[in-house]
Amino acid sequence: MTEPRPHIKRRDPAMVMRLSRLGSLHQCRLSFMRQLTRRMAQEEWVFSRPKFEINDKGVGYAVYAAQSPSHAYSLVAFAHDLPPEQRSDRVIAEAWDATFALFDGIPSDDDIERLSQNVPLQEAGRVSESELSLSRANRSVRLWAHVVDRLAAGQQPDLDQIHKVGYLMRTTAVYGSGKFGAADREKIADRAEVNSPFQAEMLSVYLTRTFVRDLVQHMAQVKGGDATAKLDPDIARWLGIGNSTGLGMAPFIVNHPILFNNWIMVREEAISRVRSIETASAEEESEFRNIFKRSKLSMSWWRSEHPVQIEKLAALNADLTSISTYLDQEELQNNYPWDRLVRWSEATLSQEGQELIASLILEPYGDLVDGLSSCMADNNSDAHVINGAMPVAEVRSLFEQSFGWAMDLDWTAPENCARAWYVSEEKLEPRLGERFNEPIAEYEQPLAPARDTVRAHKALAGWNGNAPIAEFLLRHPEHRHAVRRAQMATVAPYGEIHDNTISAVVLPIDMLRAKLSFFGATHFDPRSDRWVRICMYSGAPYPEDLTNENADLWVYPEVQQ
Amino acid sequence: MSFSLNEVEATAKRATRGAGYAWGIAEEAGKATRWLCAQGLNGPAELAKLLGLGFAGSLDQHMPKDLTGEWAGEQDLCPLTCGAALSDYAEMWRAGPLRLQHVAVPLLLLPFVANAVKRQNGVATITLDGINAVTDGAQLSCPDVDMSRVDSVIVAMGGTLETKKPRQTRATPDPASWDVLTNFAFRTYAPATEQSRLLGAGAGLSDND
Repeated sequence: MTEPRPHIKRRDPAMVMRLSRLGSLHQCRLSFMRQLTRRMAQEEWVFSRPKFEINDKGVGYAVYAAQSPSHAYSLVAFAHDLPPEQRSDRVIAEAWDATFALFDGIPSDDDIERLSQNVPLQEAGRVSESELSLSRANRSVRLWAHVVDRLAAGQQPDLDQIHKVGYLMRTTAVYGSGKFGAADREKIADRAEVNSPFQAEMLSVYLTRTFVRDLVQHMAQVKGGDATAKLDPDIARWLGIGNSTGLGMAPFIVNHPILFNNWIMVREEAISRVRSIETASAEEESEFRNIFKRSKLSMSWWRSEHPVQIEKLAALNADLTSISTYLDQEELQNNYPWDRLVRWSEATLSQEGQELIASLILEPYGDLVDGLSSCMADNNSDAHVINGAMPVAEVRSLFEQSFGWAMDLDWTAPENCARAWYVSEEKLEPRLGERFNEPIAEYEQPLAPARDTVRAHKALAGWNGNAPIAEFLLRHPEHRHAVRRAQMATVAPYGEIHDNTISAVVLPIDMLRAKLSFFGATHFDPRSDRWVRICMYSGAPYPEDLTNENADLWVYPEVQQ
Repeated sequence: MSFSLNEVEATAKRATRGAGYAWGIAEEAGKATRWLCAQGLNGPAELAKLLGLGFAGSLDQHMPKDLTGEWAGEQDLCPLTCGAALSDYAEMWRAGPLRLQHVAVPLLLLPFVANAVKRQNGVATITLDGINAVTDGAQLSCPDVDMSRVDSVIVAMGGTLETKKPRQTRATPDPASWDVLTNFAFRTYAPATEQSRLLGAGAGLSDND
């Protein structure tokens, strides 16, 4: 008889949910982009471009359709002639180089006409239940000009420049789920192909990338005429879509604790499954080694001018060297190879390196990991309903479980409550301000669960432990949101960030990176402590080239032998 | 104009906060207004009626003084506060009917009773001055009524869902009520300053690179 295989537990939320670690997460095979490209290849989605009505000035519209086995989805793209002075990646911008809607089905001419009146206005327009997302993008001015000029002159663009920037256009917002009149998520949530988080938005960005490639070719053609070169597919593949993401995404992970928990918990479950493997095959070992090499190449293209990220990249590069040395010395087949590797990384590497390892060990194990992706959506629509029969003593203990670390913090000390999250009148943009220097405290959003929980815990002090919490809540509605979160944590152990989100030293980019890593983003480039640029789909096959062979590992560039 | 139910929920939540309620109650109001719209009722109009009454400043007078026996306050009861208690603690009315005296905008109680019965796979009847509404949590049977307040509400388990209201995926609130909500919601937004524009959100960099 063999010994029962020990099961390595999921990592502790107290470790995983620290902001510095969340701000060091890397994409993995559970990422939303990779889920989508795998599915589109497996199900043999059919892609077409029914319209491309763009004039010589680059103004007009195009439609890109994706047909799954059960539904069609169409990107309706509008191209504009934007004066440079209006090009801003802030949410408060009012004009863009291109604007988009993802249409549920195939749009009629009337639909396109209706969208042409609204989509270019973005937040100032209205879309309908037929639209699943609304987005816009601006050119990377330098790379755009370079690619157009080279192609028009009959030459190919310089691959180094493409790797350096990564994209011809970057989106500055992709709105889904009922925003500005679009369809609620409920409309599509029961379709397997878009049930996983952000699949409609990921599809919209995937089709946007194809549009941008076609548009740059079109503009080169206008300039160069017959002498124009056709963009080499091997070069086009490295063009991703950039994304500029500001603070708006940070509140999202606090406001959706069940959803965020599901992402983190699924990844932790995957890590635990792989760490529990006692012996790996030679193929699995070799696949891991190969992916690590490819990952290293991708990391070598990662640039940032932000001091925080420069420091993290230096640590990551040192980590990559350490990992290479480890892999030269150690075999990865026997004696729980992946658990050994993870334990070694925890003792040796920075958090960037530790999380890279945690993501990479999943790669050889699609069979163990990929099925978990169906657990990443939030299908628990009743989780917000408070159980008022729960005794006060139990709620107290939930508070202590979720926020024990916060109970002894001096919440009146200025450095512990220096910031306040608020929404500005301007386009309802979320912002983070200085509580003691700006008149914002009265507008504060409930985005400091740790502080609010400690307050609620204090308020419970005089209450009989057997009393139902409903009685307390009737007298103290100001603590209702804290009690709700505490009860949600019973089904969502990874739903709370274990750090102070209003501290003087909080880095919102950590929250942004946590979310974007699950999208599958790479090459995080913070532009400030609350603003980050990333690249999506760089290396991915275009629709006409998508196969089961290239649908998954495109995120890791092939190493030239 | 046609709104998504997400827009209804977000606007109702902000409006309730803007009217002075706690965030936790504002979250309930968002869900409740959305639920009413999903049943084809004009949720935003109901919430606008309530927020116009300005209860939030003196909520103590609009809450039941005591949860044992009939619920009554010094003044008309607030349906959000009472509704939250009904949803939180169905044990109070599962064993026998619970009576509430003098309730403002009583249709706002329905989504909260729905929360409670959905959790226990039951059906409940809410009697508003003699008019019955029945829900199993997901669906509602209720005559079209316009009620600013009622003298008596009885909440009890049981009942039969007769003519279920067709479920809706969009809402078309009357513009006047929607304006009331957006005006209250506006109170939650901080006025923009040059400092907040530069430091509060973006990098303050040009996008021309």
